[in-house]
Amino acid sequence: MDDLGFILLSYAAAFGGAAALVWQVLRRGRALGAELPDEDKPWI
Amino acid sequence: MNRNEGSAPVATTHTPSTASAPAMTSRPRGAGTGTTFTRWLGIVTLASMAAVALFGLVLSPEDVVQGESVRILYVHVGTVWVAYLAFVVTAVSSAAYLWRRTHSLTWDRIAGASAEIGVLFMAVTLLTGSLWGRLSWGTFWVWDARVTTTAFLFITYVGYLAVRGLGGSHEQRARRSAVVALLAVIEIPLVHFSVKLWRSVHQDASVAGRTTDVTLDGLMLFTLLLATVAFTLLYVWYVLHRQRVMTMEDALDDKGLDLALAERRREAATNGVSNGAPSATGEVTN
Amino acid sequence: MAGGATSVWATARLVAAKDLRVERRSRVVVNQVLPFAALVMVLFAFALDADAVLERTAPGLVWLGTIFSLLIVVQRSFAIETADGALDALRVAGVSPPGIFLGKSFALAVQLFVLEVLLVLLAIVLYESELDAAGAVLLVTTLVPATTGLAFVGTLYGGLAAGTRGRETLLPLLLFPVVAPVLIGATRATEAALGAGGAATDEGWPWVGMLVIFAALFGVGGTLAFGPLVEE
Repeated sequence: MDDLGFILLSYAAAFGGAAALVWQVLRRGRALGAELPDEDKPWI
Repeated sequence: MNRNEGSAPVATTHTPSTASAPAMTSRPRGAGTGTTFTRWLGIVTLASMAAVALFGLVLSPEDVVQGESVRILYVHVGTVWVAYLAFVVTAVSSAAYLWRRTHSLTWDRIAGASAEIGVLFMAVTLLTGSLWGRLSWGTFWVWDARVTTTAFLFITYVGYLAVRGLGGSHEQRARRSAVVALLAVIEIPLVHFSVKLWRSVHQDASVAGRTTDVTLDGLMLFTLLLATVAFTLLYVWYVLHRQRVMTMEDALDDKGLDLALAERRREAATNGVSNGAPSATGEVTN
Repeated sequence: MAGGATSVWATARLVAAKDLRVERRSRVVVNQVLPFAALVMVLFAFALDADAVLERTAPGLVWLGTIFSLLIVVQRSFAIETADGALDALRVAGVSPPGIFLGKSFALAVQLFVLEVLLVLLAIVLYESELDAAGAVLLVTTLVPATTGLAFVGTLYGGLAAGTRGRETLLPLLLFPVVAPVLIGATRATEAALGAGGAATDEGWPWVGMLVIFAALFGVGGTLAFGPLVEE
Protein backbone atom coordinates (compact mmCIF):
# COMPACT_ATOMS: atom_id res chain seq x y z
CA MET A 1 0.00 0.00 0.00
CA ASP A 2 1.38 3.34 -1.06
CA ASP A 3 -0.04 5.32 1.86
CA LEU A 4 1.60 3.21 4.52
CA GLY A 5 5.07 4.65 4.06
CA PHE A 6 3.77 8.21 4.35
CA ILE A 7 1.70 7.39 7.43
CA LEU A 8 4.56 5.67 9.20
CA LEU A 9 6.93 8.50 8.27
CA SER A 10 4.51 11.01 9.81
CA TYR A 11 4.26 9.10 13.07
CA ALA A 12 8.00 8.45 13.15
CA ALA A 13 8.72 12.17 12.70
CA ALA A 14 6.31 13.26 15.42
CA PHE A 15 7.16 10.61 17.99
CA GLY A 16 10.83 10.41 17.13
CA GLY A 17 11.28 14.17 17.23
CA ALA A 18 9.49 14.43 20.55
CA ALA A 19 11.50 11.55 21.99
CA ALA A 20 14.77 13.13 20.90
CA LEU A 21 13.81 16.43 22.51
CA VAL A 22 12.73 14.73 25.75
CA TRP A 23 15.86 12.62 25.92
CA GLN A 24 18.06 15.65 25.34
CA VAL A 25 16.43 17.80 28.01
CA LEU A 26 16.53 14.99 30.58
CA ARG A 27 20.19 14.27 29.91
CA ARG A 28 21.13 17.92 30.09
CA GLY A 29 19.07 18.34 33.26
CA ARG A 30 20.85 15.43 34.96
CA ALA A 31 24.27 16.64 33.90
CA LEU A 32 23.68 20.18 35.12
CA GLY A 33 21.84 19.01 38.22
CA ALA A 34 24.90 17.04 39.26
CA GLU A 35 27.12 20.07 38.90
CA LEU A 36 24.98 22.58 40.74
CA PRO A 37 24.04 22.68 44.40
CA ASP A 38 20.32 22.45 45.17
CA GLU A 39 20.16 26.12 46.25
CA ASP A 40 20.28 26.98 42.55
CA LYS A 41 17.17 24.91 41.85
CA PRO A 42 14.10 26.87 42.92
CA TRP A 43 11.72 24.06 41.98
CA ILE A 44 13.00 21.72 44.71
CA MET B 1 27.84 21.94 22.53
CA ASN B 2 29.72 25.17 22.82
CA ARG B 3 28.08 25.94 26.11
CA ASN B 4 28.77 22.44 27.36
CA GLU B 5 32.45 22.66 26.62
CA GLY B 6 32.61 26.06 28.20
CA SER B 7 31.02 24.88 31.41
CA ALA B 8 33.21 21.80 31.87
CA PRO B 9 36.31 23.53 33.28
CA VAL B 10 34.09 25.73 35.44
CA ALA B 11 32.60 22.66 37.05
CA THR B 12 35.93 21.09 37.89
CA THR B 13 37.24 24.22 39.52
CA HIS B 14 33.89 24.88 41.12
CA THR B 15 33.33 21.60 42.94
CA PRO B 16 36.30 21.73 45.32
CA SER B 17 35.57 25.34 46.24
CA THR B 18 32.02 24.61 47.39
CA ALA B 19 32.87 21.19 48.81
CA SER B 20 33.65 22.93 52.05
CA ALA B 21 30.10 24.30 52.18
CA PRO B 22 27.91 21.99 54.31
CA ALA B 23 24.94 22.11 51.93
CA MET B 24 26.94 20.48 49.17
CA THR B 25 28.58 17.72 51.16
CA SER B 26 25.37 16.65 52.83
CA ARG B 27 23.62 16.27 49.50
CA PRO B 28 26.04 14.91 46.91
CA ARG B 29 23.43 13.36 44.63
CA GLY B 30 22.59 16.61 42.77
CA ALA B 31 18.91 16.63 41.89
CA GLY B 32 17.86 16.91 38.23
CA THR B 33 14.92 18.77 36.78
CA GLY B 34 12.20 16.36 37.88
CA THR B 35 9.68 16.88 40.65
CA THR B 36 6.83 14.70 41.82
CA PHE B 37 4.44 16.67 39.67
CA THR B 38 6.49 16.45 36.48
CA ARG B 39 7.09 12.75 37.06
CA TRP B 40 3.37 12.10 37.20
CA LEU B 41 2.85 14.39 34.25
CA GLY B 42 5.51 12.46 32.38
CA ILE B 43 3.81 9.15 33.06
CA VAL B 44 0.43 10.47 31.94
CA THR B 45 2.03 11.97 28.82
CA LEU B 46 3.78 8.75 27.96
CA ALA B 47 0.57 6.76 28.38
CA SER B 48 -1.47 9.16 26.27
CA MET B 49 1.17 9.24 23.55
CA ALA B 50 1.08 5.47 23.41
CA ALA B 51 -2.70 5.67 23.20
CA VAL B 52 -2.40 8.10 20.27
CA ALA B 53 -0.24 5.61 18.38
CA LEU B 54 -2.62 2.79 19.21
CA PHE B 55 -5.82 4.62 18.29
CA GLY B 56 -4.31 6.53 15.37
CA LEU B 57 -2.65 3.58 13.68
CA VAL B 58 -4.77 0.62 14.68
CA LEU B 59 -8.11 1.18 16.36
CA SER B 60 -9.58 4.09 14.42
CA PRO B 61 -11.30 3.21 11.15
CA GLU B 62 -10.24 4.45 7.74
CA ASP B 63 -12.09 7.37 6.22
CA VAL B 64 -14.71 6.67 3.56
CA VAL B 65 -13.24 9.30 1.25
CA GLN B 66 -9.62 9.62 2.28
CA GLY B 67 -8.89 6.05 3.17
CA GLU B 68 -5.89 5.38 5.37
CA SER B 69 -4.33 8.79 4.85
CA VAL B 70 -6.65 10.28 7.46
CA ARG B 71 -4.36 8.71 10.07
CA ILE B 72 -1.74 11.35 9.28
CA LEU B 73 -4.20 14.03 10.31
CA TYR B 74 -4.22 12.92 13.95
CA VAL B 75 -0.53 13.71 14.27
CA HIS B 76 -0.82 16.74 12.04
CA VAL B 77 -3.61 18.40 13.98
CA GLY B 78 -2.04 17.57 17.35
CA THR B 79 1.31 19.09 16.39
CA VAL B 80 -0.06 22.14 14.61
CA TRP B 81 -2.18 22.99 17.64
CA VAL B 82 0.82 22.72 19.96
CA ALA B 83 3.04 24.64 17.55
CA TYR B 84 0.67 27.60 17.42
CA LEU B 85 0.04 27.38 21.16
CA ALA B 86 3.81 27.45 21.70
CA PHE B 87 4.22 30.63 19.67
CA VAL B 88 1.36 32.34 21.47
CA VAL B 89 2.97 31.43 24.78
CA THR B 90 6.33 32.69 23.54
CA ALA B 91 4.81 36.01 22.50
CA VAL B 92 2.84 36.43 25.72
CA SER B 93 5.73 35.59 28.01
CA SER B 94 8.03 37.83 25.98
CA ALA B 95 5.57 40.66 26.53
CA ALA B 96 5.40 39.74 30.22
CA TYR B 97 9.18 39.90 30.45
CA LEU B 98 9.34 43.35 28.88
CA TRP B 99 6.43 44.94 30.70
CA ARG B 100 6.56 43.43 34.16
CA ARG B 101 8.53 45.65 36.49
CA THR B 102 10.61 42.77 37.83
CA HIS B 103 11.93 41.73 34.38
CA SER B 104 12.01 38.18 35.69
CA LEU B 105 14.17 35.89 33.56
CA THR B 106 11.64 33.11 34.19
CA TRP B 107 9.41 34.69 31.56
CA ASP B 108 12.30 34.72 29.13
CA ARG B 109 13.10 31.08 29.81
CA ILE B 110 9.49 30.03 29.34
CA ALA B 111 9.47 31.92 26.04
CA GLY B 112 12.64 30.18 24.91
CA ALA B 113 11.59 26.70 25.99
CA SER B 114 8.22 27.15 24.36
CA ALA B 115 9.78 28.30 21.08
CA GLU B 116 12.10 25.30 21.00
CA ILE B 117 9.34 22.73 21.11
CA GLY B 118 7.22 24.95 18.87
CA VAL B 119 9.89 24.88 16.17
CA LEU B 120 10.12 21.11 16.32
CA PHE B 121 6.38 20.67 16.12
CA MET B 122 6.11 23.22 13.34
CA ALA B 123 8.63 21.18 11.35
CA VAL B 124 6.60 18.03 12.01
CA THR B 125 3.44 19.90 11.04
CA LEU B 126 4.92 20.99 7.71
CA LEU B 127 6.20 17.50 7.01
CA THR B 128 2.99 15.67 7.92
CA GLY B 129 0.93 18.33 6.15
CA SER B 130 2.81 17.93 2.88
CA LEU B 131 2.70 14.14 3.12
CA TRP B 132 -1.03 14.27 3.70
CA GLY B 133 -1.41 16.82 0.89
CA ARG B 134 0.46 14.52 -1.48
CA LEU B 135 -1.96 11.69 -0.69
CA SER B 136 -5.19 13.65 -0.82
CA TRP B 137 -4.47 16.57 -3.19
CA GLY B 138 -1.72 14.92 -5.20
CA THR B 139 0.76 17.67 -4.36
CA PHE B 140 3.26 18.22 -1.57
CA TRP B 141 2.89 21.97 -1.43
CA VAL B 142 0.18 24.55 -2.16
CA TRP B 143 0.70 28.31 -2.07
CA ASP B 144 -2.19 28.69 0.27
CA ALA B 145 -2.10 31.47 2.87
CA ARG B 146 -2.33 29.07 5.79
CA VAL B 147 0.44 26.80 4.58
CA THR B 148 2.74 29.65 3.59
CA THR B 149 2.17 31.49 6.86
CA THR B 150 3.02 28.33 8.77
CA ALA B 151 6.27 27.98 6.84
CA PHE B 152 7.14 31.61 7.59
CA LEU B 153 6.31 31.14 11.24
CA PHE B 154 8.72 28.23 11.29
CA ILE B 155 11.55 30.21 9.68
CA THR B 156 10.89 33.20 11.91
CA TYR B 157 11.18 31.15 15.08
CA VAL B 158 14.30 29.42 13.82
CA GLY B 159 15.63 32.98 13.62
CA TYR B 160 14.30 33.66 17.11
CA LEU B 161 16.26 30.71 18.49
CA ALA B 162 19.35 31.95 16.64
CA VAL B 163 18.91 35.34 18.35
CA ARG B 164 18.72 33.59 21.72
CA GLY B 165 22.08 32.00 20.97
CA LEU B 166 23.79 35.29 20.16
CA GLY B 167 25.48 35.59 23.55
CA GLY B 168 25.83 38.61 25.79
CA SER B 169 24.32 38.92 29.24
CA HIS B 170 21.15 37.07 30.23
CA GLU B 171 19.25 40.35 30.27
CA GLN B 172 20.52 41.21 26.81
CA ARG B 173 19.43 37.83 25.50
CA ALA B 174 16.04 38.20 27.15
CA ARG B 175 15.43 41.70 25.82
CA ARG B 176 16.63 40.97 22.29
CA SER B 177 14.65 37.77 21.93
CA ALA B 178 11.53 39.27 23.50
CA VAL B 179 11.59 42.08 20.94
CA VAL B 180 12.06 39.59 18.10
CA ALA B 181 9.15 37.50 19.38
CA LEU B 182 6.90 40.56 19.54
CA LEU B 183 7.96 41.72 16.07
CA ALA B 184 6.90 38.30 14.82
CA VAL B 185 3.43 39.14 16.09
CA ILE B 186 3.41 42.07 13.64
CA GLU B 187 5.09 40.12 10.88
CA ILE B 188 3.03 36.95 10.75
CA PRO B 189 -0.41 38.54 10.17
CA LEU B 190 1.13 40.72 7.44
CA VAL B 191 2.59 37.66 5.73
CA HIS B 192 -0.73 35.88 6.02
CA PHE B 193 -2.64 38.87 4.68
CA SER B 194 -0.29 39.48 1.76
CA VAL B 195 -0.20 35.84 0.70
CA LYS B 196 -3.98 35.68 0.92
CA LEU B 197 -4.36 38.80 -1.22
CA TRP B 198 -1.77 37.49 -3.66
CA ARG B 199 -3.50 34.12 -4.09
CA SER B 200 -6.95 35.67 -4.39
CA VAL B 201 -5.68 37.81 -7.28
CA HIS B 202 -4.45 34.72 -9.05
CA GLN B 203 -7.77 32.97 -8.46
CA ASP B 204 -6.28 29.54 -8.18
CA ALA B 205 -8.47 26.74 -6.98
CA SER B 206 -8.33 27.27 -3.25
CA VAL B 207 -7.44 24.50 -0.89
CA ALA B 208 -10.85 24.73 0.64
CA GLY B 209 -12.40 23.94 -2.72
CA ARG B 210 -10.26 20.87 -3.14
CA THR B 211 -10.49 19.62 0.40
CA THR B 212 -12.03 16.24 0.54
CA ASP B 213 -14.65 16.64 3.22
CA VAL B 214 -13.86 14.70 6.31
CA THR B 215 -16.84 13.19 8.02
CA LEU B 216 -15.52 12.22 11.40
CA ASP B 217 -17.18 9.36 13.15
CA GLY B 218 -17.04 9.05 16.93
CA LEU B 219 -13.82 7.11 17.21
CA MET B 220 -12.00 9.38 14.77
CA LEU B 221 -13.08 12.45 16.67
CA PHE B 222 -11.95 10.82 19.89
CA THR B 223 -8.53 10.04 18.40
CA LEU B 224 -8.18 13.61 17.21
CA LEU B 225 -8.99 14.94 20.68
CA LEU B 226 -6.69 12.41 22.29
CA ALA B 227 -3.82 13.48 20.07
CA THR B 228 -4.42 17.14 20.88
CA VAL B 229 -4.43 16.42 24.62
CA ALA B 230 -1.38 14.15 24.44
CA PHE B 231 0.73 16.63 22.51
CA THR B 232 -0.35 19.44 24.82
CA LEU B 233 0.73 17.41 27.86
CA LEU B 234 4.05 16.76 26.19
CA TYR B 235 4.40 20.48 25.56
CA VAL B 236 3.75 21.36 29.20
CA TRP B 237 6.17 18.70 30.39
CA TYR B 238 8.89 19.90 28.04
CA VAL B 239 8.52 23.57 28.87
CA LEU B 240 8.70 22.83 32.61
CA HIS B 241 11.86 20.78 32.27
CA ARG B 242 13.57 22.93 29.69
CA GLN B 243 12.90 26.07 31.65
CA ARG B 244 14.57 24.45 34.68
CA VAL B 245 17.53 23.39 32.58
CA MET B 246 17.85 26.97 31.35
CA THR B 247 17.76 28.22 34.94
CA MET B 248 20.68 25.95 35.74
CA GLU B 249 22.55 26.96 32.58
CA ASP B 250 22.20 30.62 33.55
CA ALA B 251 23.22 29.91 37.15
CA LEU B 252 26.28 28.05 35.93
CA ASP B 253 27.12 30.92 33.60
CA ASP B 254 26.92 33.38 36.49
CA LYS B 255 29.05 31.11 38.68
CA GLY B 256 31.59 30.79 35.90
CA LEU B 257 31.72 34.55 35.65
CA ASP B 258 32.12 34.98 39.42
CA LEU B 259 34.82 32.35 39.43
CA ALA B 260 36.70 33.97 36.58
CA LEU B 261 36.52 37.31 38.38
CA ALA B 262 37.77 35.79 41.64
CA GLU B 263 40.57 34.10 39.76
CA ARG B 264 41.52 37.37 38.19
CA ARG B 265 41.54 39.19 41.49
CA ARG B 266 43.68 36.48 43.03
CA GLU B 267 46.12 36.69 40.16
CA ALA B 268 46.18 40.43 40.31
CA ALA B 269 46.97 40.20 44.02
CA THR B 270 49.81 37.72 43.57
CA ASN B 271 51.26 39.42 40.53
CA GLY B 272 50.65 42.86 41.97
CA VAL B 273 54.35 43.47 42.62
CA SER B 274 55.54 42.68 39.10
CA ASN B 275 53.46 44.55 36.54
CA GLY B 276 53.01 43.40 32.96
CA ALA B 277 52.17 39.78 33.77
CA PRO B 278 48.54 40.33 34.86
CA SER B 279 47.40 41.63 31.49
CA ALA B 280 48.56 38.48 29.71
CA THR B 281 46.95 36.07 32.17
CA GLY B 282 43.90 38.25 32.34
CA GLU B 283 43.25 37.78 28.67
CA VAL B 284 43.64 34.03 28.91
CA THR B 285 41.05 33.68 31.66
CA ASN B 286 38.75 35.94 29.78
CA MET C 1 14.95 61.18 26.18
CA ALA C 2 13.67 63.78 28.57
CA GLY C 3 13.58 66.31 25.77
CA GLY C 4 10.47 64.71 24.30
CA ALA C 5 9.34 64.89 20.71
CA THR C 6 11.56 67.76 19.59
CA SER C 7 14.74 65.99 20.65
CA VAL C 8 13.66 62.84 18.82
CA TRP C 9 13.25 64.75 15.56
CA ALA C 10 16.42 66.73 16.10
CA THR C 11 18.33 63.52 16.75
CA ALA C 12 16.79 61.87 13.73
CA ARG C 13 17.83 64.77 11.52
CA LEU C 14 21.37 64.75 12.87
CA VAL C 15 21.77 60.99 12.50
CA ALA C 16 20.32 61.00 8.98
CA ALA C 17 22.55 63.89 7.94
CA LYS C 18 25.58 62.12 9.41
CA ASP C 19 24.84 58.85 7.60
CA LEU C 20 24.27 60.59 4.28
CA ARG C 21 27.44 62.63 4.77
CA VAL C 22 29.41 59.43 5.42
CA GLU C 23 27.98 58.02 2.21
CA ARG C 24 28.70 61.17 0.23
CA ARG C 25 32.34 61.04 1.30
CA SER C 26 32.94 57.29 1.07
CA ARG C 27 30.63 56.56 -1.90
CA VAL C 28 30.36 52.92 -0.88
CA VAL C 29 26.74 52.62 -1.98
CA VAL C 30 27.34 54.42 -5.27
CA ASN C 31 30.59 52.65 -6.10
CA GLN C 32 29.84 49.17 -4.78
CA VAL C 33 26.17 48.51 -4.04
CA LEU C 34 24.73 50.06 -7.21
CA PRO C 35 27.11 48.08 -9.43
CA PHE C 36 26.24 44.96 -7.43
CA ALA C 37 22.52 45.54 -7.99
CA ALA C 38 23.07 46.10 -11.70
CA LEU C 39 25.14 42.93 -11.85
CA VAL C 40 22.34 40.98 -10.20
CA MET C 41 19.96 42.22 -12.90
CA VAL C 42 22.34 41.00 -15.60
CA LEU C 43 22.74 37.65 -13.85
CA PHE C 44 18.95 37.26 -13.74
CA ALA C 45 18.93 37.79 -17.51
CA PHE C 46 21.57 35.08 -17.95
CA ALA C 47 19.62 32.68 -15.76
CA LEU C 48 16.19 33.29 -17.28
CA ASP C 49 17.34 33.69 -20.88
CA ALA C 50 14.13 34.12 -22.88
CA ASP C 51 12.98 37.70 -23.50
CA ALA C 52 9.32 36.97 -22.85
CA VAL C 53 10.12 35.50 -19.45
CA LEU C 54 12.25 38.50 -18.52
CA GLU C 55 9.58 40.98 -19.52
CA ARG C 56 7.04 39.04 -17.48
CA THR C 57 9.22 38.65 -14.38
CA ALA C 58 10.93 42.07 -14.49
CA PRO C 59 8.98 43.52 -11.50
CA GLY C 60 9.85 40.57 -9.28
CA LEU C 61 13.50 40.75 -10.32
CA VAL C 62 13.62 44.48 -9.54
CA TRP C 63 12.43 43.80 -6.00
CA LEU C 64 14.62 40.76 -5.51
CA GLY C 65 17.56 42.92 -6.53
CA THR C 66 16.41 45.57 -4.08
CA ILE C 67 16.13 43.12 -1.19
CA PHE C 68 19.55 41.59 -1.80
CA SER C 69 20.99 45.09 -1.92
CA LEU C 70 19.06 46.05 1.21
CA LEU C 71 21.03 43.43 3.10
CA ILE C 72 24.31 44.95 2.03
CA VAL C 73 23.24 48.53 2.67
CA VAL C 74 21.97 47.66 6.15
CA GLN C 75 25.19 45.91 7.04
CA ARG C 76 27.12 48.91 5.77
CA SER C 77 24.88 51.27 7.74
CA PHE C 78 25.64 49.51 11.03
CA ALA C 79 29.26 48.71 10.22
CA ILE C 80 29.98 52.44 10.35
CA GLU C 81 28.35 52.57 13.79
CA THR C 82 29.99 49.59 15.41
CA ALA C 83 33.43 49.93 13.84
CA ASP C 84 34.52 52.67 16.22
CA GLY C 85 31.89 52.10 18.89
CA ALA C 86 29.82 55.03 17.64
CA LEU C 87 26.56 53.35 18.63
CA ASP C 88 27.85 52.82 22.17
CA ALA C 89 28.96 56.44 22.30
CA LEU C 90 25.53 57.65 21.20
CA ARG C 91 23.87 55.44 23.76
CA VAL C 92 26.12 56.54 26.60
CA ALA C 93 25.54 60.16 25.64
CA GLY C 94 21.83 59.57 26.22
CA VAL C 95 20.77 60.17 22.62
CA SER C 96 17.19 58.99 22.18
CA PRO C 97 17.01 55.55 20.53
CA PRO C 98 13.82 56.45 18.59
CA GLY C 99 15.74 59.36 17.11
CA ILE C 100 18.60 57.11 16.06
CA PHE C 101 16.11 54.65 14.59
CA LEU C 102 14.23 57.25 12.56
CA GLY C 103 17.41 58.97 11.42
CA LYS C 104 19.10 55.81 10.24
CA SER C 105 15.88 54.64 8.59
CA PHE C 106 15.62 57.89 6.67
CA ALA C 107 19.19 57.71 5.43
CA LEU C 108 18.65 54.09 4.47
CA ALA C 109 15.43 54.95 2.64
CA VAL C 110 17.15 57.65 0.59
CA GLN C 111 19.88 55.26 -0.52
CA LEU C 112 17.37 52.51 -1.27
CA PHE C 113 15.21 54.86 -3.29
CA VAL C 114 18.11 55.77 -5.57
CA LEU C 115 18.87 52.09 -5.94
CA GLU C 116 15.30 51.18 -6.85
CA VAL C 117 15.04 53.92 -9.48
CA LEU C 118 18.21 52.57 -11.07
CA LEU C 119 16.84 49.01 -11.00
CA VAL C 120 13.57 50.04 -12.62
CA LEU C 121 15.49 51.89 -15.34
CA LEU C 122 17.63 48.82 -15.88
CA ALA C 123 14.51 46.67 -16.18
CA ILE C 124 13.17 49.01 -18.84
CA VAL C 125 16.47 48.93 -20.73
CA LEU C 126 17.47 45.28 -20.29
CA TYR C 127 14.14 43.49 -20.01
CA GLU C 128 12.10 45.66 -22.42
CA SER C 129 9.58 46.69 -19.77
CA GLU C 130 7.32 49.61 -20.67
CA LEU C 131 6.08 52.43 -18.49
CA ASP C 132 3.22 54.80 -19.35
CA ALA C 133 2.08 57.89 -17.45
CA ALA C 134 -0.53 56.20 -15.25
CA GLY C 135 1.96 53.43 -14.55
CA ALA C 136 4.60 55.94 -13.55
CA VAL C 137 2.27 57.51 -10.98
CA LEU C 138 1.51 54.10 -9.51
CA LEU C 139 5.18 53.14 -9.56
CA VAL C 140 6.30 56.23 -7.64
CA THR C 141 3.46 55.77 -5.15
CA THR C 142 4.58 52.16 -4.69
CA LEU C 143 8.22 53.02 -4.25
CA VAL C 144 7.63 55.42 -1.35
CA PRO C 145 5.88 53.11 1.15
CA ALA C 146 7.81 50.03 0.00
CA THR C 147 11.13 51.81 0.50
CA THR C 148 10.04 53.23 3.85
CA GLY C 149 8.94 49.81 5.06
CA LEU C 150 12.17 48.17 3.93
CA ALA C 151 14.21 50.89 5.59
CA PHE C 152 12.36 50.52 8.92
CA VAL C 153 12.70 46.74 8.96
CA GLY C 154 16.32 46.91 7.82
CA THR C 155 17.26 49.41 10.52
CA LEU C 156 15.44 47.43 13.18
CA TYR C 157 17.04 44.07 12.48
CA GLY C 158 20.35 45.65 11.51
CA GLY C 159 20.46 47.29 14.95
CA LEU C 160 19.59 43.98 16.56
CA ALA C 161 22.37 42.11 14.81
CA ALA C 162 24.91 44.94 15.04
CA GLY C 163 27.98 44.09 17.06
CA THR C 164 27.09 40.43 17.55
CA ARG C 165 29.06 37.45 16.37
CA GLY C 166 27.77 35.86 13.19
CA ARG C 167 25.65 38.87 12.18
CA GLU C 168 26.43 38.42 8.48
CA THR C 169 24.62 35.12 8.44
CA LEU C 170 21.96 35.92 11.00
CA LEU C 171 20.69 39.12 9.38
CA PRO C 172 19.26 37.53 6.19
CA LEU C 173 17.61 34.81 8.26
CA LEU C 174 15.82 37.43 10.33
CA LEU C 175 15.26 40.01 7.62
CA PHE C 176 14.02 38.04 4.62
CA PRO C 177 10.92 36.48 6.19
CA VAL C 178 9.85 39.89 7.47
CA VAL C 179 10.24 41.64 4.12
CA ALA C 180 8.26 38.95 2.28
CA PRO C 181 5.04 41.01 2.33
CA VAL C 182 6.94 43.91 0.72
CA LEU C 183 8.32 41.59 -1.94
CA ILE C 184 4.83 40.29 -2.70
CA GLY C 185 3.06 43.66 -2.53
CA ALA C 186 5.65 45.78 -4.31
CA THR C 187 6.10 43.17 -7.04
CA ARG C 188 2.36 43.02 -7.73
CA ALA C 189 2.06 46.80 -7.76
CA THR C 190 5.06 47.11 -10.05
CA GLU C 191 3.61 44.45 -12.34
CA ALA C 192 0.50 46.59 -12.62
CA ALA C 193 2.56 49.71 -13.23
CA LEU C 194 4.68 48.10 -15.94
CA GLY C 195 1.78 46.11 -17.36
CA ALA C 196 3.79 42.92 -17.01
CA GLY C 197 1.80 39.82 -17.88
CA GLY C 198 -1.10 41.96 -19.04
CA ALA C 199 -1.85 43.39 -15.58
CA ALA C 200 -4.05 46.50 -15.52
CA THR C 201 -2.75 49.60 -13.76
CA ASP C 202 -5.58 49.87 -11.23
CA GLU C 203 -4.88 46.36 -9.95
CA GLY C 204 -1.85 47.81 -8.20
CA TRP C 205 -3.55 50.18 -5.79
CA PRO C 206 -4.71 47.66 -3.15
CA TRP C 207 -1.08 46.58 -2.86
CA VAL C 208 0.00 50.15 -2.23
CA GLY C 209 -2.44 50.15 0.67
CA MET C 210 -0.85 47.04 2.10
CA LEU C 211 2.62 48.55 1.74
CA VAL C 212 1.48 51.64 3.63
CA ILE C 213 0.15 49.46 6.46
CA PHE C 214 3.42 47.54 6.53
CA ALA C 215 5.50 50.69 6.72
CA ALA C 216 3.28 52.22 9.40
CA LEU C 217 3.31 49.11 11.62
CA PHE C 218 7.05 48.63 11.45
CA GLY C 219 7.65 52.36 11.83
CA VAL C 220 5.75 52.40 15.11
CA GLY C 221 7.07 49.00 16.22
CA GLY C 222 10.64 49.94 15.40
CA THR C 223 10.47 53.28 17.17
CA LEU C 224 9.27 51.52 20.31
CA ALA C 225 11.55 48.50 20.06
CA PHE C 226 14.84 50.08 19.07
CA GLY C 227 15.62 51.31 22.58
CA PRO C 228 15.36 47.92 24.30
CA LEU C 229 17.24 46.31 21.41
CA VAL C 230 20.40 48.40 21.50
CA GLU C 231 20.50 48.90 25.28
CA GLU C 232 23.26 47.14 27.14
